[in-house]
Amino acid sequence: MQRYRRFDEVEVGEVFPAAPLTFTADGEKVAAFLAATGNDGRLYRDGEALARVPSMIACVYLIDLLTARRSPPGGIHAKQTLAFHRPLRLGETLSIQGRVTEKYVRKERPYVVSTFEAHGEDGSLVSSGQVTSIWGRDP
Amino acid sequence: MSVAPLSTTAPVPRAGETLPQVARTVDQATIDAYARASGDFNPIHVDPAFAATGPFGRTIAHGLMTLAYVAEMLNGWSRGAFDAAGTLDIAFVGPVFAGDRVEVNGTVDDVGEQDGRAVASITLEAKAGERTILAGRARIPLATQSGTMA
Repeated sequence: MQRYRRFDEVEVGEVFPAAPLTFTADGEKVAAFLAATGNDGRLYRDGEALARVPSMIACVYLIDLLTARRSPPGGIHAKQTLAFHRPLRLGETLSIQGRVTEKYVRKERPYVVSTFEAHGEDGSLVSSGQVTSIWGRDP
Repeated sequence: MSVAPLSTTAPVPRAGETLPQVARTVDQATIDAYARASGDFNPIHVDPAFAATGPFGRTIAHGLMTLAYVAEMLNGWSRGAFDAAGTLDIAFVGPVFAGDRVEVNGTVDDVGEQDGRAVASITLEAKAGERTILAGRARIPLATQSGTMA
């Protein structure tokens, strides 16, 4: 397992992960996400069959992405912007990568601001946004 | 598999319209289930001993779980238009603790037009009792039956 990174090791401009991570919006992940958020899924089914993907499955692939920054445990999600550029298809695989755009300390809390983009297999932009995190306590 | 997209044809909303509320009661089992579904096992959410040493003194729910409730409200109201082309800008302003009842509300504060489509601007707020836990805004382009503004 890779070690956690201290706040002072984070550099503005760094791209994470070095190669885009991939995320496949398969039925199992979608069903688990809907169930865990208490969503009855009626918007995403044709009859009983799952047929569509909630764009907010971004909540899942964003965690995969943010984990790549290797913040120590205890970090907190402070702000979020999101833009959905087109619907995500069931079974589609995304390529996702982020970039650190800002870091600062406010009220003795260390903040890291990152942007991200998720692209579909055809290269089209599916989602983008910005995450403001309070970095976990330095190890 | 080819699946027809959801119809986003909907009546144009009016400023002041309120969205149907989404509410959930959150307990530690809810938080743990969300951790398993999202892969986010940050101990501030799932490890009471670790969380006791942190700023809140106990576990808190994932902010993105609350955001999923927000998306459910926006999609239910817009018939999936938020999924297709929505945007949002929010701040997590307070924690959600086990035992909280989270209530997500939205109010249309403006209806504009962009590329011939109505675009609803919505003020968002989530509360747990009297505590505000999330605040922000969303924008949703809406296809309309007439293509014109009401």
